Amino acid sequence: MSANTLDPNKWVDKYSDYLFNYTIVRVNNREVANDLISETFLAGLKSAKNFKGEASERTWLISILKRKIIDYYRKINSRKGKAEVKINYSDDYNEGEWLEEQVADQFDRTAEDEMENNELGLAILDCLDSINEKHAEIFKRKTIDGADTEAICNEFNITPSNLWVIIHRARTALAACLEKNWF
Amino acid sequence: MGKKAKFLFFNCSEAATCCDKAQYEEANLFEKAKLMLHLAFCKTCRKFSARNSRLTHLMKESKLETCPEEKKKQWREEIKKEFAEERS
Repeated sequence: MSANTLDPNKWVDKYSDYLFNYTIVRVNNREVANDLISETFLAGLKSAKNFKGEASERTWLISILKRKIIDYYRKINSRKGKAEVKINYSDDYNEGEWLEEQVADQFDRTAEDEMENNELGLAILDCLDSINEKHAEIFKRKTIDGADTEAICNEFNITPSNLWVIIHRARTALAACLEKNWF
Repeated sequence: MGKKAKFLFFNCSEAATCCDKAQYEEANLFEKAKLMLHLAFCKTCRKFSARNSRLTHLMKESKLETCPEEKKKQWREEIKKEFAEERS
C-alpha cells in the first residue's frame, strides 16, 4: 500500500518546467540543464521499482536531479583541478587588492539574489500546480512565454474574452496562494 | 448622470479586465484613462490593482522559464521508449 505511485508518461507535462527552473539557476547553462533533466528522467525509470511511495513523485525526481547536479560539479571540478593553481592573485602588482574584491564581490551578491529568485520561481510553479490545469497552462503561455493573445486563442480554441476570464481567475488564485506561501 | 458621460465609466468587473490587460500592455490609452478614473473612486479596485501589479512584478523577478516544446517532445519519446523496454 503506497500513497504515491509513479506515472512516467506524465512526468514531462507535470514536472519538466519545475525541474528545469530548479536546475537552470544551479548550473546556469541551458544545454547542461536539459541533459541533466533527461538523465534524471531515465534514471528515474531505471530505479522506478525502488520507489516506495513515501515521497511525492516530484520530490523523488528532485532528489535524483540533485544527485545528477552534484555529479556534474564533481566531473567539472576534477577536470579543473590544474586550473585552480593558476589563480593569479600571486601576481605582486595587484597584491592587496584581492581582499577588497572578496569583500565587495558584486557577482557573488547577484548570484545569491538569483538563487532566492529561483526559489520564488519554484513557489510560483507550486501555486500554479494547485489551480485548474488548463488555466495554469494558459497563464504560463501568456505570462511566462509572453505569447500573443491571438496565438493562445487559436491554440486552445477559445475567444479573447474567455482568455481574459481565465487569466483573471488564474491571477487572482495565484496572488492569493503567493500571499499565503511566499510573503 | 447623463447618457453621454456613461462611456467614461467602468464598472468593477470591466475595470478588473482592463487592469489585467494592462499587466500585459494590452490596454489602450483610452482604457487606461478609464481605469484611472475608476480607481480614483473605488477602493476595492485600487487594492486589486496593487495586488495585480505586485504579481506582475514577482513574475518578472522570478525569471521563470518554460522548457521549449521540442525538448519536451524529445523527453516524452525517450521516456516512452525506455518505459516500454523496461516492461518487456
